[in-house]
Amino acid sequence: MNTPLEQLTSAIKAGKRKDAKSATQAALDAAIPPAQILAALGEGMADVGRRFKANEVFVPEVLVAARAMQNSMDLLEPVLIEAGIQPAHTFLICTVEGDLHDIGKNLVAMMIKGANFKVVDLGTNVAPDVLIEAVEAHRADIIGLSALLTTTMPAMREAVARIRERGLKVKIMVGGAPITEGFAHEIGADGYAPDAGSAVELALRLVEAA
Amino acid sequence: MKSKERVRAVIDHRETDRLPIDFGSSFITGIHCSVVEGLRRHFGLEPRPVRVCEPYQMLGEVEPDLLDALGLDVQPIFPQRTIFGFPNENWKPWTTPWGQHVVVSEHFHTYTSVEGDTYIHPKGDRSAPPSGHMPKTGYFFDTIERMDADFDEDDLKVADNLEEFGLMSDGEAAYWRSQAELYRDCDRAISVHLNGTCLGDIALVPAPFLTHPKGVRGVAQWYMTVASEPEFVMELFDRQTEIALENMARLHAIAGDVIDVVVVCGTDFGTQASLFCGVPSVREIWLPRYKRINDWIHRNTAWRTFKHSCGAIEPLIEAFIDSGFDILNPVQCSAAGMDPKELKAKYGDRITFWGGGVNTQETLPFGTPGQVRAEVLERCEIFAPGGGFVFNAIHNVQALTPIENVVAMIEAVDEFNGGR
Repeated sequence: MNTPLEQLTSAIKAGKRKDAKSATQAALDAAIPPAQILAALGEGMADVGRRFKANEVFVPEVLVAARAMQNSMDLLEPVLIEAGIQPAHTFLICTVEGDLHDIGKNLVAMMIKGANFKVVDLGTNVAPDVLIEAVEAHRADIIGLSALLTTTMPAMREAVARIRERGLKVKIMVGGAPITEGFAHEIGADGYAPDAGSAVELALRLVEAA
Repeated sequence: MKSKERVRAVIDHRETDRLPIDFGSSFITGIHCSVVEGLRRHFGLEPRPVRVCEPYQMLGEVEPDLLDALGLDVQPIFPQRTIFGFPNENWKPWTTPWGQHVVVSEHFHTYTSVEGDTYIHPKGDRSAPPSGHMPKTGYFFDTIERMDADFDEDDLKVADNLEEFGLMSDGEAAYWRSQAELYRDCDRAISVHLNGTCLGDIALVPAPFLTHPKGVRGVAQWYMTVASEPEFVMELFDRQTEIALENMARLHAIAGDVIDVVVVCGTDFGTQASLFCGVPSVREIWLPRYKRINDWIHRNTAWRTFKHSCGAIEPLIEAFIDSGFDILNPVQCSAAGMDPKELKAKYGDRITFWGGGVNTQETLPFGTPGQVRAEVLERCEIFAPGGGFVFNAIHNVQALTPIENVVAMIEAVDEFNGGR
């Protein structure tokens, strides 16, 4: 018989939301410390991220895993807050002004959340002023900017420039179909991630280096 | 050699007098209306507002004078209704957010929010919530996800996701009869989008053409349904295919002899670096339905079938060939594993590449005319031998693409063809 934590990790890996919920409840009922439950969740999501990066699972599987994680977090979050446990880092994410395409952005947000960052999702089509205000309000450690269109790449350049002008001490990572390592470097971003799994690794590297 | 013969010959893997070129024959091989205007000006064509033939991506119609100027080989017959569910008829002027004066259907009804964003109503019905949204700095619409408040993911109903699929109406049949008459003697190859054969196209799942869609209508919701409820998806695709087969028979009876190429499905299976769905899922969920469609077409018509999928889809090309597709588009050589030489060597004698001519994410919008020429010539050298290649950029020519680069692209194909 698997422990509730093992059941939770495998429910996340398989994207089974109902199992994730019941395993979380069982773990809470068994008075397992919430930090351990969170670690079991993170282990499941990290495994999904690894398999996504290795092309063993794809977008649908990552989405169902993230949905299972969210079902678990709905139960776990109040307990974590009560215990005073909160993520060490805040990750702010959005698509740049003019761009409404958010599949990639949402995948990254879910995976980053699974790696125990506080994720503030500003949504799509976010103007630089709104972004800067949010970075200051949430004291963000990292910003993730996404663009799908060639026509919104200039808006990504503009957003990075405005954040730098403002002198904010925040790391900026970028991604999206037409974005390349070279473009990220050219516009002064701190990093580029080609997929959601790599985005988690990059985010962890950036906060460690800070 | 007439364009029609040329296109049919290359699809059947025979070399021709020159490489055929397509721009504007479909909603995935088109040109943004702003670029169409620039091209009309460049070639000194009659100055008139561009018709927005596809209002979602804001594609401009490549009218016969521009087809001639660019030396294009394919003529479209567009569907009777646009993606927003209204017919393109009785054109009226409209000024785009970037200040271009175009003409749009009389049913193209939009409003502008206080933020300056544009919203469009489905079926031209102002009382229905908008189904498309263009940011004030945007050049295209995107669909708005309108989830039914009563939607229950534990109680999925196939009928809810079938609302948009029905048998060809009398009005639609009359439209096809008139179009068939118009283009029966056309020298160019005729391309059409088949109605209802797109299986799970993420642009269509939100149903921007319906006033109050029910069922699975969110993008993420759809992908999750593919992972967690494959039986539901397969039943939906089976029912959709049944309806499509009947409609194909009706279309064939009306316009079968006029049509050369049918765009079957635009579902994207690839991201820049990988797949949206694993190969086993595609083979189980999509391939049998694609095969029914392609087999019917090849048994009953002389049409050639066209499959579009962006991204790094090399692992799926064998499945597309097994499904019976004749043509693959847009051949995104910039995506992982999509090296043009390897694609040509491995698949070039079994499927026609319609696209791949130049990178629209980098070279065409951001390169120099010289870089465009070099890339186009290289791609033609790789893809043209033995037939099996229709020149087209990788997907639509996007807004803000410099006109001199588009001209350099066309001139490079002419150069490859030895001048016209």
